[in-house]
Amino acid sequence: MTRPRPRLSGLVLALVLMSPVSSRADDQDVIDYRQHIMKTMNEEAAAIAQILQQKIPAADFATHAEILAITAATAKKAFEPKVPGGEAKPVLWANWKDFSKRLDDLTAATADLARKAKEGGMAAAAPRVQSALTCDSCHDIYREKKD
Amino acid sequence: MSPVTRMYGVVAMVTALIASNAIAADDKEIIDYREHIMKTLNEQSAALGMMLSMAVPDDNAIAHMEAIALAAKMAPKAFEPKVQGGQSKPEVWTNWDDFSKRMDDFAKKTDEMVRVAKTKGAATAMGNIIEYLPCKSCHDVYRDESKK
Ligand code: HEC
Ligand code: HEC
Repeated sequence: MTRPRPRLSGLVLALVLMSPVSSRADDQDVIDYRQHIMKTMNEEAAAIAQILQQKIPAADFATHAEILAITAATAKKAFEPKVPGGEAKPVLWANWKDFSKRLDDLTAATADLARKAKEGGMAAAAPRVQSALTCDSCHDIYREKKD
Repeated sequence: MSPVTRMYGVVAMVTALIASNAIAADDKEIIDYREHIMKTLNEQSAALGMMLSMAVPDDNAIAHMEAIALAAKMAPKAFEPKVQGGQSKPEVWTNWDDFSKRMDDFAKKTDEMVRVAKTKGAATAMGNIIEYLPCKSCHDVYRDESKK
């Protein structure tokens, strides 16, 4: 009965050594995940900007707005874990009600853009784009750019 | 600068640029646009991948699949203008029939992924993810990653 013992303590040691590493990795995963969502919104907002500038035909405007609406809705879950880091200001979790309401508003406004574009074309949707894309007003408060 | 901030100043800029560089600018816009769609696909696939490896909870899985399916649907049209550059190989346009067929298949497969996720659960769809997302098989033929 001497042999399993060293093996067991080896395993325990491995677990002890792993745990701080893996919890740090988890935090990084949480940050990476919400950044994937933000970067998606960035690509889609950029595509919408190109359409507004008439560089690109408007046929898919509603679809871009729809992706924004879907993605903004996913952001809420992504920011729920209170993991400071990345470019997120910690005050975001202290002001969670305000922060999550802003995400709800973005979801609603972009869904409305998609609807307006489908019903009335660009003429109906374009005037609402600036007020719908509230990206900067949230970033001003809750994001700390580290470029 | 965020896309939104960029939008504010853009009218003046565009007017100033139009005179001499209109054609070059347009080509760049077309390349940028298809790359925005590809990068959307990339971020959303990465998000799904994190769920597949159980790095984050999968509550949003269906939403990510929906975003991928919508982006996939827009992709073929973004490549229609025959504008070489970016990481696109010239074969995109010389083999257009094959390329656009792959794009159509991609859109169909991602629709199927959403349908399966909604009817049989996200986990079932995730089990087939490689099948639904033929990103690499297209890139192997039509994308040159050494560019840029
Ligand atoms: C409710 C607040 C809020 C809204 C609305 C919002 N963002 Fe963000 N955004 C954040 C926060 C917080 C971060 C920092 C995330 C981190 O790094 O942990 C961020 C980060 C980003 C980043 C940097 C991602 C990276 O890591 O490279 C981009 C790009 C971005 N947002 C784009 C957008 C766009 C485009 C929109 C609008 C369509 C938008 N955001 C709307 C809060 C918001
Ligand atoms: C039918 C072909 C095809 C499919 C399917 C496809 N791509 Fe692409 N992808 C391309 C081509 C062509 C380019 C080069 C675009 C350019 O730069 O002009 C590209 C470029 C990219 C880029 C580089 C964008 C940049 O400018 O940084 C990324 C990232 C990418 N694709 C991700 C994906 C992901 C993720 C998927 C699957 C979910 C996917 N692609 C599916 C053909 C495809």
